[in-house]
Amino acid sequence: MRFVSLSVFYSKTEVATVETELLRDYHFGQQQLIEIWGHACAIAITKAFPLSSLSKKQPTLLVVCGPEQNGSIGLVCARHLRMFEYEPTIFYPKRSPQSLHQDFTVQCEKMDIPFLSYLPTEVQLLNDAYNLVIDAILGPETDHKEVKEPYAGMLVTLKQVKIPIVSVDVPSGCDVDEPAKDGINPEVLISLTAPKKCATGFSGKHFLAGRFLPYDIQKKYELNLPEFPGTECVIEL
Amino acid sequence: MLGVRALFGIGLLVTSRGGSVLTHTGACAHVASNIYSKDLAHRQACTMANTIKYLGQEEAQHIDEELFNEYSFSVDQLMELAGLSCATAVSKGYPLQSLLKSPPRVLVICGPGNNGGDGLVCARHLKLFGYAPSVLYPKRPNKQLFQNLTTQCEKMDISFLTELPEWSQLFITVSVTQLCFPFGLFIFILKDEARVEHGCPDGFQPDMLISLTAPKKAANHFKGRYHFLGGRFVPPALEKKFQLNLPPYPDTDCVYQLN
Repeated sequence: MRFVSLSVFYSKTEVATVETELLRDYHFGQQQLIEIWGHACAIAITKAFPLSSLSKKQPTLLVVCGPEQNGSIGLVCARHLRMFEYEPTIFYPKRSPQSLHQDFTVQCEKMDIPFLSYLPTEVQLLNDAYNLVIDAILGPETDHKEVKEPYAGMLVTLKQVKIPIVSVDVPSGCDVDEPAKDGINPEVLISLTAPKKCATGFSGKHFLAGRFLPYDIQKKYELNLPEFPGTECVIEL
Repeated sequence: MLGVRALFGIGLLVTSRGGSVLTHTGACAHVASNIYSKDLAHRQACTMANTIKYLGQEEAQHIDEELFNEYSFSVDQLMELAGLSCATAVSKGYPLQSLLKSPPRVLVICGPGNNGGDGLVCARHLKLFGYAPSVLYPKRPNKQLFQNLTTQCEKMDISFLTELPEWSQLFITVSVTQLCFPFGLFIFILKDEARVEHGCPDGFQPDMLISLTAPKKAANHFKGRYHFLGGRFVPPALEKKFQLNLPPYPDTDCVYQLN
């Protein structure tokens, strides 16, 4: 993996602006984007935690999904991880009412991916059952300062697990525009499209995932994204 | 004007519901993508590629229906994965560094059906991979999805041609069209109702074929260098139901080379 350093990090407003432009002007579809992000996320996870590196007998992992887009990206990610021979389990307590997001749920269910009905507060149960946890709870679209239940409780539990946590786009509970302090402290961060301001100074393994951003947008927002090698859609930063 | 004779002279072959990749030397490479065949990814890997099932048209349609109706996949989701597979296969068969021009020009010919959409996605990814695609899309369906995919390409500075360019400028042609089953795509583009019923017109020698989801029976006629399987999204239960015997995709690759 090439290691690249970035000088520009995305703010919450810029994320929202770019996404609006992608949908309104470039006519990308929401489901299309979520598929691209989820797929790239899964590939990043296989690079950070190859099947052979997992310590437990079964390649189990827990994907915790929030109610909005970040959660749906988690669902797509879980589906692709299943295709890549991992054994994901999903915890998705509050499902989005939007049919677009509901489709992702059905797709996972039909792949025989189990959905937990509750998240055990007994942290040892999680440590024993899973090799790692994928945090797809809160993304840049959410206000992390006012984390409502059940997510506040979930974050408390997850902060105590001993197994590695991988955060999708933004470590849940962190302010998108500030260097992370209050939220989850993941071992691996997978930034989607471009890293957010809260990733500044992130000391763990940091991946950039999602290779689709039109050059015009990259230039307009001066994103200075690194060059992905070959046909890869993930690069380690 | 798209003259059939000119096309025959080029040796371009478009297979049913698929694309063709034509190399500069006159050999045709086919990139056939039928996203609407259902694929099941076995948990137990299928070790012999030659036991993979070749689908008939009806079966392929049933698989498609199930993917959309039962599994709730959306067309744009699967099309994105299918187009990515196509672009990936092209880059494996014709790597950037092996081609003379930089960036190498690729013509993507998109037919009027769903496979045309696959071609648009393929073109977009080829651009991101460093190729210089142009698109020929003479008959565009009046559906939002295809209009969106077209915009995405245009906004990536992928030019849409109004006629076939000078072949000498091209290195690869990827043609993705939807035709009657099994062959005859190109002619379909030129004359709406024209159909070719059996086999490949003489002189068309595809170099590469990309079967999406699972290969179709028509692929048995394929004699080119590269046959890739793409469209890595088939749920295990679906694969089992239709006994597709799909081979194991390597690692996180979205293509599998069948020959």
